[in-house]
Amino acid sequence: MTSIPEYMTAKHRECDDVFSEAEAAVAQENWSLALDKWQCFAQELTKHFEQEEGKLFPEFEQATGMTSGPTQVMRMEHQQMRALVQDLDNALAAKNKDEYLGLSETLMVMMQQHNMKEEMMLYPMMDQHLSDGEQIIEQFKAD
Amino acid sequence: MNISGLSFNALPPIDLPFRFFISAPILVLLCAGIILFSGEAMWLSRWHPSTLAVTHGFTLGFITMVMMGALLQLLPVIGGIGIAKPRLIATSCHGLFTLGTLSLMANFLWPNAWLLVISFLLLSLGLGIYIAALAWVLVKKLSQGDAIIGFRFAITALVIVFFIGLLLLARTQAGFYEWGWPTFLVEKLSTKALTDGHAIWGLVGWVGLLIISVSFQVIPMFHVAPSFPTIISRYLPAIIFLILLGMFVDIAITLNIIVLLHGVYAISLFLVIAKRKRKVPDNTIRYWLLAATSLLLFNGFYFFPEAYLTQEILTSKTLILAAFFIYFYLVSVIQGMLLKILPFLSYTHLQQRCLSHFSAMQFIPHMHEFLQKKHGLWLFNFHCFTGIVLLMTIMMPSIYWLLSIMLFVEFCWLLKLMYQAITLYYKTLNKIKLSVNE
Repeated sequence: MTSIPEYMTAKHRECDDVFSEAEAAVAQENWSLALDKWQCFAQELTKHFEQEEGKLFPEFEQATGMTSGPTQVMRMEHQQMRALVQDLDNALAAKNKDEYLGLSETLMVMMQQHNMKEEMMLYPMMDQHLSDGEQIIEQFKAD
Repeated sequence: MNISGLSFNALPPIDLPFRFFISAPILVLLCAGIILFSGEAMWLSRWHPSTLAVTHGFTLGFITMVMMGALLQLLPVIGGIGIAKPRLIATSCHGLFTLGTLSLMANFLWPNAWLLVISFLLLSLGLGIYIAALAWVLVKKLSQGDAIIGFRFAITALVIVFFIGLLLLARTQAGFYEWGWPTFLVEKLSTKALTDGHAIWGLVGWVGLLIISVSFQVIPMFHVAPSFPTIISRYLPAIIFLILLGMFVDIAITLNIIVLLHGVYAISLFLVIAKRKRKVPDNTIRYWLLAATSLLLFNGFYFFPEAYLTQEILTSKTLILAAFFIYFYLVSVIQGMLLKILPFLSYTHLQQRCLSHFSAMQFIPHMHEFLQKKHGLWLFNFHCFTGIVLLMTIMMPSIYWLLSIMLFVEFCWLLKLMYQAITLYYKTLNKIKLSVNE
C-alpha cells in the first residue's frame, strides 16, 4: 500500500523528469522529440491536477472543514499553470526556442514552489486527516 | 504537524528583500573605493585598517546583507510561515544593519570611541532584532526539511560570531582589561585566537552553513537533480557546527577537519549536479560549479606541503585562502542565487497578485524577460575575471587599481540587473492594477 505523500510526490518527480527531457530537446532544437515529450508531460500534469481537484482536495476539505484555505490556493495555482502550459504549447508550435525556454524556466519555478507547499505541508496534512488515503491511491493506480 | 498560522501566501512585500539586495552591491562599490584610495599598503597584512574595513564590507555589507534579504523570502516558502510584522522588522533591521556596517567600516579606517559605540549599538540592534524574529519562526516545527535544521545552526553561529565580534571591539578600548573580565577570557583567548574564531564562525558557521543548507533544497529542486546523500544532508551541518565548537580547544585540528569536510561537500555538489536531469545551459549552475571547484582548489592549496611553496606565496597564504573561500566560493554562490531569486521574486509576487485576477496573468513577463540569460553570463564572466585579478593583487599589490576597477564594473552590472528586474516589476504591476481597476 502506498501513502498519499509517497505516491503524489513520486508523480511530481515523474513530471519533472519528462518536463526536463522536453526542455533539453528544445534547447537542442530537436522539435519532434520535444513535441513528444511535451505532450507526455502535459497529459501527466492534467491527470495529476484532476486527481487532486476531483478527489483529494474535496475529501480533505470535507474532513477538515478548511474550504477556503490551502486547497483553494492550490486550485488557483493550477489554473495559472494551465495558462503557462497553453503559452508553452504556442511557443512550441511556433518553434520559438527563446520564448519556450523563458516560459519553461517560469513554469519550472512555479511548479517547484507549488510542489514544495504540497509535499511539505498539504500531503502530510492529508495523510493525517484522510483515513482512506491508501485506498484512494490504489484507485489512482488502477485508473 | 502544527498547522495553525500556516499560510501559503505569506510572502513578505517585494520591496523588503529588494532593499537588502540593492544595498549589497552598493557597499561593495564602497569597498572598491577604499581599495583604490588605500593603495598597495593594505595588501601587506590582514590587520591593516583598510583590509579590515573591506573584509567587513564584503562579509557584512554584501554576503550577510543578501542572506538577510533572501531568508525573509525563503522562510515562508520552505517553512510555510514568515516573520511577524515583516515591514516593521525588515525596515528597522535593514536601516540599523546598513548604518552599523558603515560605521564599523569607518571605525576601522578612523578609529574613534564614538564610531565604535555607534557601530556597536546599531549592529547589536539590527542583528539582534533580526535574529530574534527569525528564531521565533525557526523554533516552530512547521516542516521537517533538512534546510530548516541547517538554518537553526547557521543562526546560532551568527549569534556566536556577533558576540566574539563585540568582545574584539571591546578589547580595542583602553581600560578593557580593568573591567573585571573572567581571567580565562583575557588570558586563554588571545586577540589573534578570537579574531580567527570570529572569522571562521562567520565564514564557515553563519554563511557557510546557510549556503550548504540552501543547496540541499534548491539544487535538486530547480535543476531536477537527485537529493544529496542523506548522510550529507542530514548530518553535515550538525557535524560542521560541532567541530567548530572544538576550535576553542585546538584550532589547527579543527581547521583541518573543517577544510576536509568542505572538500567532501564539494564532491557531493559535483555528483549531484552531474546527475541533474535538467541540462539546459544555466548561469546558476556555472556559479555552483565554480564554487565547488574553488573548494577543491582550497583543499589542495591548504594541504599542499609548505616546503614546496615560495616565500612570497607562504606570506600570502592566509589572504589567498580567504580569497578562494570568500570570493570564489561564498560570493559565487550568492551571485548565482541572486540570478535565480531576482526574476523569481518579481514573477512570484505578480503571479500571487493574479491569483484572484486570472485574466491579468497575460501581462506578466516570463523569467528570462526579468533577467536575460546573456546578462547573467556577463556577470559570471566579470566575477571570474575579478576573482583572478584579486589573486594577482594579493601577489602583486601594485595592480590594486585594476581590482578596484573590476569590482566597480562587476557590481555596477549586478546593480543594473537588479534595477532592470524591479523596474519591469513595477511596470507590470501598474498594467495589472489598471486592468483590474484597482
